[in-house]
Amino acid sequence: MQTQPRLYTDLHGMRARIERIKGNPAVSLTIVAAFLLVGVFVVYPLVKVVLKSLESPDGLGFATYVKIFSGWYMRRALYNTLLVGVLTAVIGVAIGFIFAFTMAKTDVPGKKIINLLAILPVVSPPFVGAVAILLLFGSNGLITTQLLGLYDFRIYGLKGLLLAQVMTFFPIAYLTLRGVLESIGSSLEDAAFDLGASRWEVFSKVTLPLAAPGIASALLVLFIESLADFGNPLVLAGSQFPTLAVQAYLQITGMYDLAGGAALAVALLFPSLIAFVLQKYWLGKKRYVTVTGKPSRNRSMAVSPAMKWTLFGFCVAVSALVLLFYGVIFVGAFSRLWGVDHSFSLRNFEYVFNVGLEAVKDTLLVAVTSTPVSGVLGMVLAFLIVRQRFVGRRTLEFVSMLNYALPGTLVGIGYLLAFHEPPLALTGTLAILVLNFVFRYVPVGMQGGIASLQQIDPAIEEAAIDLGATTARTFRKVTLPLIAPAFFSGLIFAFIRAMTAISSAIFLVSADWQLMTVQILSQVGSGRLGVAAAFSVILIGVIVVAMFVIRWLVSRTLGIRVNVNF
Amino acid sequence: MKRTRSFIVMLVLAVLFAAMTAAGSAQQVITVYTSVDEENAAAILKAFTEATGIQTRMLFMSAGPALARLDAEKNNPVADVWMGAPSENHVLAKERGLTQPYFSPNAEVLDPKFRDPDGYWTSFYMNPMAVAINKQWQARTRVEAPKSWRDLLKPEFRGQIQLPTPQSSGTAYNMLASLVLAWGEDEAMAYFKGLHANVQTYTQSGTAPSQAVALGQTGVAIQFTPAFLKLADEGYPIEIIFPEEGVGFEAPAVSIVAGAKNPEGAKKLVDWLLSEEGQATLSKAKTYFFPIHPNVVAGDGLPSVSEIPLIDYDPIWAGENRERLVNRWIDEVLR
Repeated sequence: MQTQPRLYTDLHGMRARIERIKGNPAVSLTIVAAFLLVGVFVVYPLVKVVLKSLESPDGLGFATYVKIFSGWYMRRALYNTLLVGVLTAVIGVAIGFIFAFTMAKTDVPGKKIINLLAILPVVSPPFVGAVAILLLFGSNGLITTQLLGLYDFRIYGLKGLLLAQVMTFFPIAYLTLRGVLESIGSSLEDAAFDLGASRWEVFSKVTLPLAAPGIASALLVLFIESLADFGNPLVLAGSQFPTLAVQAYLQITGMYDLAGGAALAVALLFPSLIAFVLQKYWLGKKRYVTVTGKPSRNRSMAVSPAMKWTLFGFCVAVSALVLLFYGVIFVGAFSRLWGVDHSFSLRNFEYVFNVGLEAVKDTLLVAVTSTPVSGVLGMVLAFLIVRQRFVGRRTLEFVSMLNYALPGTLVGIGYLLAFHEPPLALTGTLAILVLNFVFRYVPVGMQGGIASLQQIDPAIEEAAIDLGATTARTFRKVTLPLIAPAFFSGLIFAFIRAMTAISSAIFLVSADWQLMTVQILSQVGSGRLGVAAAFSVILIGVIVVAMFVIRWLVSRTLGIRVNVNF
Repeated sequence: MKRTRSFIVMLVLAVLFAAMTAAGSAQQVITVYTSVDEENAAAILKAFTEATGIQTRMLFMSAGPALARLDAEKNNPVADVWMGAPSENHVLAKERGLTQPYFSPNAEVLDPKFRDPDGYWTSFYMNPMAVAINKQWQARTRVEAPKSWRDLLKPEFRGQIQLPTPQSSGTAYNMLASLVLAWGEDEAMAYFKGLHANVQTYTQSGTAPSQAVALGQTGVAIQFTPAFLKLADEGYPIEIIFPEEGVGFEAPAVSIVAGAKNPEGAKKLVDWLLSEEGQATLSKAKTYFFPIHPNVVAGDGLPSVSEIPLIDYDPIWAGENRERLVNRWIDEVLR
């Protein structure tokens, strides 16, 4: 598998390329535009937040940081955030690995269902887990009160938050690790078996080391996701278990302290940034991919039958838990009054249509507008970065990726600070929401595009150019169809994320533009769990429908059939 | 055909983009940031539109987010009026230069404690604080109904009290400041520290405890009366108690935003809210708020104000000491 871009040692080729760029104003313009856009909508807000946190009576200083972190409460918030991050990463990756291993290396039945259930949390708002946990384990929860008769069980705090985060994020680990395990192939393991190694030896000395970079990568990704998580801690952590993202929000909205909130958000940034850099640039180099052979013939050899069924049992149990979570949301949406009267009722949906219809429409509009922009921009950026040579190319790549690693809270505050006065007075408009989503989710499409482009021989494009096509035409007619799967994944991802975003969006909603996720949290905060569940059901439904629609649209426009392989 | 299609697509995108950044036109419309909850705010504003013909656009934000939003927008304000949120928040807004003064002719008849001497804000209703207890829980656990704040410190209430957190809720801060005013700061803080042991959870929003106690998720809830009164009216098994040491009250106010785009419309809203007609709407719309106009009687289902032991509350002092008191609460009570 080719992972390095082609190097041009051919001098004539290089000169020809440079001439082509220089003589191609459209490309130069695009490059300049890319820098400008990324500078204004990624770098500028970040700078504003950092500057705000350094505001002090006499110029720039660390007064705000001292004030915020001299209190035990905020130090506890920092500790809690890191603790939960590490625990979520470790437990989530453990569960994800078991799933991935079971799916990739054994022949258990029901794989399709288990796979579907395992990825369900990916297509729903990240805090749906928290709502489900409240419905199940809260003070009037289905399991705690109705089933077990426990009236004093408190789910708030570390255990509730951990459960919510692990259930929300383990699918990410699962997807990553499944890809890793499948791409490793089994030829090396088969060789080890042939040489007489025991199953455990093969696992510990061949499989695990080969998967190690993937595991490390998944650990870091989950850590970053946990740190940035806003919805789950807001619902489940409570005042007695402070976390940074929630405290930054409360500092701004409850204590009217923009500088303090900015300082907390910056404190959140550092662990995320370190993890991100480690994951992208240090681990990225170490990828262990064995020479592609045929997929494993002898999967059943990898584990003993006893182990196989144990793993299967575990996967079934966790999948059942996922099913329970979503099931209870569904039931809660249609229940008259959760905890008191579970008879079927459309009351909650009535409330949604009376009070929340605006939010539904606005969310759809924002998602539908930002998704294609995000997808196309991602592909254009990928194309520029892989196929063109210009000063600052690596910087452009890094900065575009950066926005994805920044905690949503930080980006939201940044946009609020950066765009509330002329020349770019965008607060309260649709534009600020769309721009926020576009630039946050561009990196995923871009990354997919880069990976795909690196595997395509430039000779194909060069042939088109030799035959007289402009760069734009080549991009549209040759490159884009070839990277269609990456484009498609980028679109779906951007749409899902736009529909389910909360941590940055909560700062940007306005009188004219509401979002469903903000509505859901507001309903949970007011104790109306049934309405929150109804909103969630609608949200998930829209996402599922949209996935099919996007797939159809992409197939039609680009003339090829794409399949989402989750 | 392809050309035309892509041209149409571009045209649509261009129009969308233009629409995105265009501000709304400012004919007889006022933009209202409301800290009154959505249902009641919608009812009140609807009556206002029917009476005056002025359209309204509203966004709900509780006190904290509203202040932060007004602050962030102060160089280019979006809202015309801030309606609702206890008066101490409007004191803060005045101090930060976020509002402009207006002496409504209808305000002169009000008790001076309900309006800012400089005209920057005027209260238009009030709610006392109360404790609600779930009668089914009480029957099951045979706990004696609390008669005073200090009764809530008893161990039988362990894990059964829900109230909002002063970090984000004006309601919670009002309770904190009231008890500080009544008992002195140190004793009030000691009380909250004792109460902390019995708290099930501190809620984000000021109205969540009422839901919880109505549904039996918690035995006791503390917040302002409207939600309690409404739920009791709807048949939920709750009983409302006013602790004998006295209760604080909120007097949510209305202010006109400094630099508002439609100040004339804003003034009309203030006038109407303080008029007898506007005050009567509070009962007609079943908000369960107490009107403050001396000639307007509170609606059915509301106890008479004279029966409630009120603590003398100073919203200006409360506003000035908020940051310090909340930080002290976080520091001492949550630890």
